[in-house]
Amino acid sequence: MSNWKYINNVYLYDGTFHGFLTIVFITYLKKTLPLRIFTKSNYSPNFLDKELIIETDFKKSKRVLLGIEKNISYETLFNTYYSFLSNEAEKEIYLLKYLHSGFNFGSQINNKLFLPYVYKVINMKKRTFGEYHRLKGLLRFQEIHDNLYYSSIHPDNNIIEILGHHFIKRLPSQNFIIHDKKRNLCLLYNTKNYQIISSNEIEIPTISLEEQKYQELWKLFFKTISISQRKNTKCQMQHMPKKYWKDLVEKS
Amino acid sequence: MEITDKLKILSDSAKYDVSCSSSGSNRKNKNNGIGNSDISGICHTWGADGRCISLLKVLLSNNCIYDCKYCINKVTNSIKRATFTPQEVADITINFYKRNYIEGLFLSSAVIKSPNYTMELLIQTISILRNEYNFNGYIHCKTIPGCSKELIDILGILVDRLSINIELPSYNSLKLLAPQKQKHEILEPMSYISNTIKQNELEKNKFKPNFVPAGQTTQLIIGATPETDLKILKLSENLYQKLNLKRVYYSAYISVNQDTNLPTLETPPLLRENRLYQADWLLRYYGFKTSELLDETHPNFNHILDPKCDWALRNIDKFPVEINSADYFTLIRIPGIGIISAKKILKTRREFLLDFDSLKKLGISLKKAQYFITCKGKYFTNSYNINLNFIETNLISLERSSFTTNFKQLSIFDNLLPTKEDRIKCLTGNI
Repeated sequence: MSNWKYINNVYLYDGTFHGFLTIVFITYLKKTLPLRIFTKSNYSPNFLDKELIIETDFKKSKRVLLGIEKNISYETLFNTYYSFLSNEAEKEIYLLKYLHSGFNFGSQINNKLFLPYVYKVINMKKRTFGEYHRLKGLLRFQEIHDNLYYSSIHPDNNIIEILGHHFIKRLPSQNFIIHDKKRNLCLLYNTKNYQIISSNEIEIPTISLEEQKYQELWKLFFKTISISQRKNTKCQMQHMPKKYWKDLVEKS
Repeated sequence: MEITDKLKILSDSAKYDVSCSSSGSNRKNKNNGIGNSDISGICHTWGADGRCISLLKVLLSNNCIYDCKYCINKVTNSIKRATFTPQEVADITINFYKRNYIEGLFLSSAVIKSPNYTMELLIQTISILRNEYNFNGYIHCKTIPGCSKELIDILGILVDRLSINIELPSYNSLKLLAPQKQKHEILEPMSYISNTIKQNELEKNKFKPNFVPAGQTTQLIIGATPETDLKILKLSENLYQKLNLKRVYYSAYISVNQDTNLPTLETPPLLRENRLYQADWLLRYYGFKTSELLDETHPNFNHILDPKCDWALRNIDKFPVEINSADYFTLIRIPGIGIISAKKILKTRREFLLDFDSLKKLGISLKKAQYFITCKGKYFTNSYNINLNFIETNLISLERSSFTTNFKQLSIFDNLLPTKEDRIKCLTGNI
């Protein structure tokens, strides 16, 4: 990778995982690294930059996807996907370097934590996975219609899809909507398949008496289960930062 | 009685049970039912006391026939009594679960009428959940001391985890504070469950249901009776080794009852509880033995230093350890280096030799560890006054700074406001 050329280019792509893998394919072919990578939507033109728009090509991205699993390791693919979902600003460049040296070193790449981009990628994965795990617990559904459940979240990282998979496995016979209010994304699930759409506002009907009853019960349980002699709000805050409180029934 | 009142009374009575973990079972979702279990467990919220809440922790009833002196539900206490019907518990559990409030149910009960009668009610509740609602989430159930083995067999197949609380760590304390409970009534079912789990592991096949897949746990009360840390830790070590327990929980005693045999504590002994948990982890994951951590000459843990630091200072001849060549089991014995850091070190040092800077870059905390390691043969400082005293002082100052929160920003004008005398001095010029 040391003999690769840095080129004064800015790559623009559509922000999808497959779009990113297409960039990996193209840069590997040309043996060049772009200066920066942006998604089309959040790029503002700049007279110094030479932009190059990369169109997503599923054939190419599939080859990269298979290539990673075959030539590097499944763990690397996992790391790549989870870091890709992170909200880090320059994640694409780090990932690009990580994958290219991955094709060089094989599965050993994940042991090379002293390389700054490997460490960065592993850390991004850790943070995304951490938030995903936290929200598996902190997400709250409310029944807005007969067997239709709604939940709103404000995660830092784009974890709506992996979160959806968790709940589809867990509650397969329940219709639900997970609404990422930070990114205006909605995951809809109708007991058979799911879809992610972008939407700004969802109008929620006033909650039913039944729903209200269980919310009250939950608040009551939450209050009584803590032991007053052991009060430790600092510890509580450490585990459950305030940024998640607005979506919690027991805390709002 | 309204369901709200019942929940209030019965969760209030259940809160002194520490266990709330939902890990260890990977029950799959079957036939489009409700729920599954996550092998690592999921915490759903944290209470005001900082403890995680992952299970709906309630008693089926607090109408107890026993008179254990430490317990809030003892028969001679005048508290509000309530009993759930099995259907009510199942309904609350299912509805909480559907809204993702909880990971499952932790059902326990006071002894109503007789141990066997209580067990039958527990089984009835859980079989409603498992069979009628097709609930595959996590269920942790208490076994009632003195119940028959056939009932344990039935319950074990339905639940993920079983527990029997020992509560009092010695025979004498048990006799003093819980006169109606017999020692063998507690230990016999524990060994029965442990043997059945082992047997079930051996006979495992696709069609046979798992018996208590997440293992069994127990709880000990700390500070209600005069046992030393050594005695308590010895007991847990035995439980881990002989009965294959998954966890022993320690619960700092909170005085809820007045009794001549009980101590009156203003605050629960939380620090002691914390030290015991730290030691418990050292037993289970770090390969330590009780005899290494404590002995007859000092049977209690150090208040200021954690058990691992304490051990390291007493065995300073085993240090410093060379990071680049020590094996895994030596690495995890270094204070400040845990399982994750040790694994990171093992991974990275294959590729290149580590020094202090690269350890920092890997995100390994050197606050404590730096006194006990060398990197490429070098110690972290080249000063000549390294001795046991120096290390101990530094470690203690580390701990102190995290303990006390009384520090405040100094202000020039604090305590310097002129008093009446100062004013008079100014006027008279008599300084």
